[in-house]
Amino acid sequence: MPGRRILITGVGSYIGSALARRLESDPGVEYVVGLDMRSPAATLERTSFIEADLRDPVTATLIPQESVDTVVHNQIVRRPGPGMSTRTMHDINVIGTLQLLAACERAPTISTIVIRGSAGIYGSEPQAPQFFREELARLYPLRTRFQRDVGEIENLFETYARRHSDVTCTMLRYQPAIGPVLDTQVTRYLAPPLAPTYLGFDPRLQVVHEEDGLGALLAAVRNPVRGAVNVASPGTIGLTRMIRLAGRVPLPLAGPLFGRATSALTRVGMPDLSADFMRLLRYGRAVDTTRLTNEVGFTPQYTTSTAVEEFARRGAPSAPSISAKARS
Amino acid sequence: MSPPDRDAVTAATAFLRQVREGLDAGVELPEAVVRSTAALPNGARTALRRLDGRYTEDEWGFDEDFAHAVEPLFDFLFDLWWRVETIGVQNVPGHGRALLAANHAGILPWDATMMSIAMLREHPLPRYPRFLVLDWAFQLPWVSSAIRKLGGVVASPYNALRLLDDDQLVAVFPEGIKGTGKPWSERYRLQRFGRGGFVELALRTGAPIVPVAIVGSEEIYPTVGSSATVARLLRTPYFPLTPTFPWLGPLGVIPLPSKWRIEFCAPIPTAHHGPEAADDRRLVLELSELVRETIQERLLHNLVERGGAFV
Repeated sequence: MPGRRILITGVGSYIGSALARRLESDPGVEYVVGLDMRSPAATLERTSFIEADLRDPVTATLIPQESVDTVVHNQIVRRPGPGMSTRTMHDINVIGTLQLLAACERAPTISTIVIRGSAGIYGSEPQAPQFFREELARLYPLRTRFQRDVGEIENLFETYARRHSDVTCTMLRYQPAIGPVLDTQVTRYLAPPLAPTYLGFDPRLQVVHEEDGLGALLAAVRNPVRGAVNVASPGTIGLTRMIRLAGRVPLPLAGPLFGRATSALTRVGMPDLSADFMRLLRYGRAVDTTRLTNEVGFTPQYTTSTAVEEFARRGAPSAPSISAKARS
Repeated sequence: MSPPDRDAVTAATAFLRQVREGLDAGVELPEAVVRSTAALPNGARTALRRLDGRYTEDEWGFDEDFAHAVEPLFDFLFDLWWRVETIGVQNVPGHGRALLAANHAGILPWDATMMSIAMLREHPLPRYPRFLVLDWAFQLPWVSSAIRKLGGVVASPYNALRLLDDDQLVAVFPEGIKGTGKPWSERYRLQRFGRGGFVELALRTGAPIVPVAIVGSEEIYPTVGSSATVARLLRTPYFPLTPTFPWLGPLGVIPLPSKWRIEFCAPIPTAHHGPEAADDRRLVLELSELVRETIQERLLHNLVERGGAFV
């Protein structure tokens, strides 16, 4: 039996490169091809690299030529990077996915598509169930731009899955990631000595350790299941406990002032918080990971609590002092 | 100065001296503080441990340290403020899943916390019940985090099912929002039990239902009226007016010292019906009515037994 042929979008990211490297060393995988605008973060041995923009319609014509059987869509931007507008982020997320799925329509060899999506679709709501199961995705209106992006991506993917019953379509819903290597909203939030919180709120948060995030993606490629699957390190952690474990000090701000205060604090080097992340800091969110364990067959190594503890032990960069930054 | 005061001062001085020595030796301030904690008494060490994040919360956010720390307040309320008497606490299963169904008035779950204290102090196998709280309370600062740390969760069937599947003891208030806004004149008159959702949960998980009648809790905030206009403005389900709230500001939140009796009734088994019975409307409504009647009957009985509300 010939080995699998796998296409990875967003291969320039840490997770994308790490996934490519793990798949390269798998004898069951015949061919790996990565697609991104930037070259891979790690040196890859037998992965071909296509430097292309997913939003560009030309890219769509390249994909069928690779005759892959599996597509891993890993190019979903969770927060606008430096110099990236929310408009660009929306384009990469929605138009990128649209073009990719359009390309898949013309590639008859495809049997599996795995998208690394976001648990952001559930939102952060005070009245939400303490653990979201996969079928509870549209319990509440999509409030932020990123949530609407994720909603649109899921809609596109569902439509595709309906049209192609022979293709196994897996939507992985990732909780925010944490880890010593990754640079995410959570790790940025925990970098400065002070961490802004909502006065009087101490929500339950849930993260996924970077290794578990990678492990889950790999497991979903090897054993894809139909529909959505939550990805998180099990358990939850209170925001205050997370901040204190990371050796930081909570800075409680009154609710109505929170947005303005945190955006003023960006001038002294505090991270810019997205609308989603602010809601997360107020109401929190946790998901049920039964499906990940029982159906995909992946058991995370870390719990949310041990993931944060491990991050605190070796990951948390030593805090740059605020005054030093303000002076520079 | 009395001896304990002098001890505290000695400890504080020893601590500060050690911190200063650490700083003199070129250690950063946080490090120096941590190194000096050995000089502190036990309580302060616990507080510092919490400042480092070294405490546990379960996946629901229940924080045993916190529950333990506020116990003196609840003990005071239990023994002196409300003089709670408990009856039939041995009716609650000591292990495995079970559903406590009680009458309820007011937003703040004082009745649930008193039930917890009763379970902890008087049950031969003490256990913390998890209670379902009206979702609106989770929008409130402080209240929301205190409730979750004490074992409260949002009143959602998904939460209840997960807790029962996890073999927890779960407390529900089937009157729901109708009980929350009950006026003074309606006290101890049980409202309709919705569509019997709590019975469905019990049937689906095979958990026995323990009806609980709580006398006293419906007199702590005598609601004499409510303002629909203010409720709309604040986007709250209702805005109660009591003789003290909102006129006295935060003081109006202090509950009145009524006398309480909590009776745990005999459990109603549901496991023999099987999980499919959860879809049997007739059975669900019958059981729901049985629980309602039991609580109502025991409420009236205990009201007579208790006598005057505040003496």
